[in-house]
Amino acid sequence: MTNDNDQLDEPLHWGAAFFGWICPGLGQIMLGHRRRGFLAMTGVLGLFLCGIFIGGVDCVDRHEDPLWFYAQAGTGPIAFAADWANSGLLKTGKVGELIESPPSNPRAPAPLVSSFKTVTVASEIGTLYCALAGLMNVVVLLDALKRRPIDKGSGEDAR
Amino acid sequence: MIPSIVFSTPMLSWIPFLQPAGSLGNLWWLLMIPLIVGISIAYRATHDASIEQFWWRVFMFVMKSTLAMGSLALVMYLFVYWVIPILRTT
Repeated sequence: MTNDNDQLDEPLHWGAAFFGWICPGLGQIMLGHRRRGFLAMTGVLGLFLCGIFIGGVDCVDRHEDPLWFYAQAGTGPIAFAADWANSGLLKTGKVGELIESPPSNPRAPAPLVSSFKTVTVASEIGTLYCALAGLMNVVVLLDALKRRPIDKGSGEDAR
Repeated sequence: MIPSIVFSTPMLSWIPFLQPAGSLGNLWWLLMIPLIVGISIAYRATHDASIEQFWWRVFMFVMKSTLAMGSLALVMYLFVYWVIPILRTT
């Protein structure tokens, strides 16, 4: 257990923070806090996967919802993978089919959208889940940045 | 009220994670509870100095957050359906 002063004196663990962004909780695991890392991973990845499950990969869209994506990108490469799946599979029509949607400008041709695209509350909730997963992972990797590593053999928290 | 699960496509052709699973219709707000559970797991895993009694602390955090949001919703309901109509008549 560390108190606040000990944690302030702790050097910054940039490597742990980086790997915490690559995979949520990995920073804590690298520092020896295995159980803490796996629990954080469960929370963050659980939120993100629940969001994708509820709203589909259409919830993560770098081009149409850039502000939401800034928050979602905190989850790491998995957010970019979901965005790739959205633009590479759904928007190209490789999965599902492309259908015409009403154009915003009557003179412009009707834009094609995926039949898997949703505009219901499921999409909003899925987007919210993924964004909060990203923000929570920022909290988790900031924790990894300042957390004191566990010496091998001490046994503290390393279960 | 009978909860109606609304799926955007028939179940047989549903592709998980690519297509939306749908919300719970009028009970969509129940999806806030798993949201709170996920947030509290990640928060408690990093915030507490010790992770003894972790799941009990997560449970208490979920209960407190749910009650707080429920209370806020109740206040908003009373404000919209009771206070505002009174203000309009006066």
